[in-house]
Amino acid sequence: MQQLISFTSDYTRYVLKGGTKFYAWMGSLAVLIVGMMYVFYLQNTDGLIVTGMTSQIHDGLYFANLVFLVGVAAGAVTIVFPAYAYHHEGMHKVAVLGEMLAISAVIMVTMFVFAHMGRPDRLWHMLPIIGIYNFPHSMLGWDVLVLTGYLILNAICGFYYLWVKYTGGEINRKWFMPLVWVAIVWALSIHTVTAFLISTMPARPMWFHSMMPIRFIATAFAAGPCLIILAFLIIRNNTKFWVDDSAIRLLTTIVTWCLGIALFLTMSEIVVEFYARTEHANGLYYLMFGLHGLTNLVPWFWGAVILMIASFVLFLMPSIRNNFKLLPIPCVMAFAGIWIEKGMGLIVPGFIPTPIGEVTEYYPTFVEWLLTLGIWAFGFFILTILLKGAIGILQGEIKYGAAK
Amino acid sequence: MTPNETPPACPAQEQQAECLVPPASADPAASAPKTTRRDFLKAGGTLSLSSLMGAGALMAQSDDAHAAAEWAEHFQKNYRLMTDAEKAEARVRLERRYSQEYGKPVTVDTTGPQPGVLMGYALNIRKCIGCRRCVHACVEENNQSRGKRPGEKIEWIQVLRMERGKFEQGKMDHGYPEGLGIQVGGNAYTPAGQVLEGQYHYNPEKVPEQDATYMPIACMQCEKPPCVKVCPVRTTYREADGPVVIDYNWCIGCRMCMGACPYWARRINLTNPVLPKEEMNPVTHYLGNRPRMRGVVEKCHWCLQRTRHDRYPACVEVCPVGARKFGNLLDPESEVSKILERKNVFRLKAELNTFPKFFYFYD
Amino acid sequence: MKKIAIYTVILALCGGTLYAVSAADKAVEPAPAAAPKEPVVCFESRKGASDINQQEIKPGLPNVKCSPTTGAALWYGDPYHGTVPMGKMPQMDIPEGKAVVVPRSEKLALMPMCGTACHNGVGPQFNPPTLPKSRKPAPVPTMEAMVPDLKDLQHGRGRIWCMDCHHTTQRNKLVDHYGDPVSFDQPQLLCGKCHGDKLRDWRDGIHGKRIGEFTSTGKKRWFTCTECHNPHNVQDGARNRGFVQLQPEPSPQLPKGMKDAKHELLHPIAH
Repeated sequence: MQQLISFTSDYTRYVLKGGTKFYAWMGSLAVLIVGMMYVFYLQNTDGLIVTGMTSQIHDGLYFANLVFLVGVAAGAVTIVFPAYAYHHEGMHKVAVLGEMLAISAVIMVTMFVFAHMGRPDRLWHMLPIIGIYNFPHSMLGWDVLVLTGYLILNAICGFYYLWVKYTGGEINRKWFMPLVWVAIVWALSIHTVTAFLISTMPARPMWFHSMMPIRFIATAFAAGPCLIILAFLIIRNNTKFWVDDSAIRLLTTIVTWCLGIALFLTMSEIVVEFYARTEHANGLYYLMFGLHGLTNLVPWFWGAVILMIASFVLFLMPSIRNNFKLLPIPCVMAFAGIWIEKGMGLIVPGFIPTPIGEVTEYYPTFVEWLLTLGIWAFGFFILTILLKGAIGILQGEIKYGAAK
Repeated sequence: MTPNETPPACPAQEQQAECLVPPASADPAASAPKTTRRDFLKAGGTLSLSSLMGAGALMAQSDDAHAAAEWAEHFQKNYRLMTDAEKAEARVRLERRYSQEYGKPVTVDTTGPQPGVLMGYALNIRKCIGCRRCVHACVEENNQSRGKRPGEKIEWIQVLRMERGKFEQGKMDHGYPEGLGIQVGGNAYTPAGQVLEGQYHYNPEKVPEQDATYMPIACMQCEKPPCVKVCPVRTTYREADGPVVIDYNWCIGCRMCMGACPYWARRINLTNPVLPKEEMNPVTHYLGNRPRMRGVVEKCHWCLQRTRHDRYPACVEVCPVGARKFGNLLDPESEVSKILERKNVFRLKAELNTFPKFFYFYD
Repeated sequence: MKKIAIYTVILALCGGTLYAVSAADKAVEPAPAAAPKEPVVCFESRKGASDINQQEIKPGLPNVKCSPTTGAALWYGDPYHGTVPMGKMPQMDIPEGKAVVVPRSEKLALMPMCGTACHNGVGPQFNPPTLPKSRKPAPVPTMEAMVPDLKDLQHGRGRIWCMDCHHTTQRNKLVDHYGDPVSFDQPQLLCGKCHGDKLRDWRDGIHGKRIGEFTSTGKKRWFTCTECHNPHNVQDGARNRGFVQLQPEPSPQLPKGMKDAKHELLHPIAH
């Protein structure tokens, strides 16, 4: 108990202290968070009418970001898996950072769920016992289950590891290792279920194919590690903590191949859909070329394709992928490309046209953008705190008894 | 049934025993549900909530029926799991609140499915002239939001105008690829007979137009509804007499059902519904046309407040060409049974195995 | 000078009085218009031939609600308002009072006159009936005003004429198979002579329209043939259905962000 109190206070004190840069970063995030809270209040007094969503296109930015961030959360497994399955030295050192990323991503997902709901005040209806949990029929029920489980698993694994480091004890591998393995498989499940969430609707032909889960996982294992690489490079440059080159190299390899697979799957989909060009291809056609003269998403799609192909080529060039000064460029490009392709580019055209053929367009409002940005800011806020605390413990700057 | 014969409402002053209390189960065959262990567990779970509901009930004594009712509504159970007493309580609460809000006596019916009834609908697609009277009759009846801001106006029926299209000589030498022998003819692109490709916002001087056919689309009340399957809180379900209904107080607004519906039958209340007092229809059903709230999904329920008392749905009654038919599928003498027996019918998107109880037919 | 002044005053007074009178007239004029509310009239299926007056049957409950855009009946507060029993119909075994109709005769303004003013059944050409062999009606202006394409009646495409449907001696009646009179409230007895398949579907509720209770034993208001169809006008210009063209109700609201629905008119070209 004594240890737990001192862990909490040491941890809190450590993460709250920082230089001007740290406060500036956290302060600007806080401004966005305040803005987010205001528009969330608006949305829950005036209703979803303040967003660009309609009865025709009833999932928008929020759902798109939700789907994307589930991928980022799952992407953390690209660190944990090599660390524990292949005993990769460099990865093992930073595995806990991946878990921290997963935690913040799942928190962001939860917030996007709240943003997406028409009645967030009634979410308790989903809880078993006091509400009704439509299990196993509802895919959303499954999604909530796996996401909650993933959050708990990562919190336990991550903080247990930190706790042991803090107290200077030994890891109890008897239950820790099975839990890690469960978490690894679970990471795949969260994104698979999220894919099932939309791919099990015959009403929406654009999503109704079995390629969705593998495409989701491929893009997740490209976008997630991109963000991790960026985080690692920032950590290397701004803290005393040194992330091994080998870890970053391995992540780069994973990104490259997953990006390649993602591009390949996109190409396969385009060929299959457009060779026959049935009416089921209307959504994809809208995305790529526009439908009935409505072309809002066309530049986004082609932008995403260019970003993804270009970053893939850059990743393949050793002069860039081994140059850690230039590496952030393809990482940012791939991350942005996947964000567009998997978020807006996948969710919105699923609703265009509607199942009975009405073609309308989606115009996200300022409220939606600010709320989205605010949730991302909140996620980065949490991520910064979690990473800072974790690094402090890994560096031995927070240690039981050290403060006394 | 004339409005004079509406079932007795359950005013707060009266004894609840005198009110019309529906059977406890949605299935009339199982009107006496057994208490299972699960129910017991559920009861235990709601114990803490019932104390809060008590607080709500205390507040209900105050004049502000709206706030009190809303407060109590936050903690009420899913309609299907309510006991008769709870249903009656919820009904009184809602009637008091709506009556105060809309300045006239509002009834909230809770009549359950009648035994031996399976509702069915048929639409003569050859007859429809696309006048949209059904659309607006539905709005008059079902208390939809009718505001001016985009998203504030909700209509449950959509009428699709489809072009007849034509095959013509002039298109013969157009197509794809051009110049190498046409493999895909220009005439291939005529919309003739193209279902679900057309206009929803058509607005000619007069209908029917020579070059168009019309197809109204609303909830198909599927026997195997995809929307029910995806609902994470089981707030939408199929009633024993056929219609798929929503407990608006239990809906969390996740819109999964809207994504799963292949007929685009569901609408979301993006904001607090705009329903002028004088336009509000005071004869309502709990699962039917009672006023909804912000953030919940709604859809056609075949005018449950009417059909549970044998009255035709509003859209059937106003169709100027008699294209809309409604009846009991279990009764061989009903008009819908006769249509299934005698006419050629089809179900929209039958390939999805949703088994609609809404049939399109031809003369 | 004084005189002028007096004249001026008188003139002014006169003018003032006149003005006051006319002003008073103006003030009075709108008042009676506002007092008795303009009766709202809706039409059911046929504009001008199936009108119903809106009335309050209970406080706040009208018998019918009308569309402010088109004047069409949009909602029935009481489906049986103004109905009378349909009467015995062959092949229809409906208990008394379960089948009701809105009498058409009351809506036909000239009907009471037909049988008395002109066709009182005593004219030389009627007793005994000496009808024109050509089966072409004589061009009487009164009749032509009522039925525009009288001389070339499209109903039956020239194979039938007035007396095939209207009773020869009782013009406020229709005629059945045996030449016996049929009420204007029961046109189905006449129309079914030729349109037997439609009559059969109508009897079963498949064709035409019934409102009220949907159960097969419930009370229903039946719509008779002429409440929806105009037998004198079966081919109406650009119309391609069995009904006269109507003004449609307003189109749905455009979803947020959409400025117009012009895109609906474009067809996607797909390869």
